[in-house]
Amino acid sequence: MPQYLLANYLPDNFDPSTITPEMIRQINDLNEELEAAGARLMACGLSPASQAKSVHGQPNGKPLITDGPYLEAKEHIGGFWILEAADMDEALVWARKAAFDPSSRGEVREIPYSSLAGGTPHPSRVKP
Amino acid sequence: MPQFLVAIHHPDNYDPSIEGEAMQRDISSLNKEMVAAGVRLYVAGLEPAPKAKSLRATSNGEVLITDGPYLEAKEHIGGLWILEVADQDEALAWALACRAPVEIRQCFQKPPQPTDTTSR
Repeated sequence: MPQYLLANYLPDNFDPSTITPEMIRQINDLNEELEAAGARLMACGLSPASQAKSVHGQPNGKPLITDGPYLEAKEHIGGFWILEAADMDEALVWARKAAFDPSSRGEVREIPYSSLAGGTPHPSRVKP
Repeated sequence: MPQFLVAIHHPDNYDPSIEGEAMQRDISSLNKEMVAAGVRLYVAGLEPAPKAKSLRATSNGEVLITDGPYLEAKEHIGGLWILEVADQDEALAWALACRAPVEIRQCFQKPPQPTDTTSR
């Protein structure tokens, strides 16, 4: 079964104290529904993008390490799920459920190569 | 032990066919090294960002779905590892070994919980 990354985006100045008990209840309910459906392979919340480190390769071979996220944007991934779904449409059904708040912003990406059970290993890992 | 997302970024017009046998062997060796060290929880390669779908909830409760990645940028995450290591420096050491543009983010130790559970 194909796997999908469902990422949610947060503004860089997101204040976690604005998360209400109702939002936590909704997210817990969704996680329980995903588990019950056997669709959730992984769920992960990330520390704020400002605490990220980024690595940029250089022509001299000495990579440059900078503080902060790699992409220059005002929003960054705040957390994500790895889902197993029949197809993109089924993944989008879950993504719609995850967008329960008017501020919800998400992205769904198919995962062709994954190390998890049921995933397809990268061709370079497949022994002839 | 803390967990870290190590996300590789690719330009949106990235052509996987430029990954020669040597590069595939390097990535494969790095993955084996990560597994041998017991630090690799997960690895995934993603479909190109133009194939992404993006969702925006609206105040009337509807969800708009559009084609393409959510962020308007010229590069997007092309693949990711979840590593379990002692600290960000150790995650950084692994990230440097992959010799690609990456971002490192720590995963929360615990999912957010209501603060008033004891009173219920």
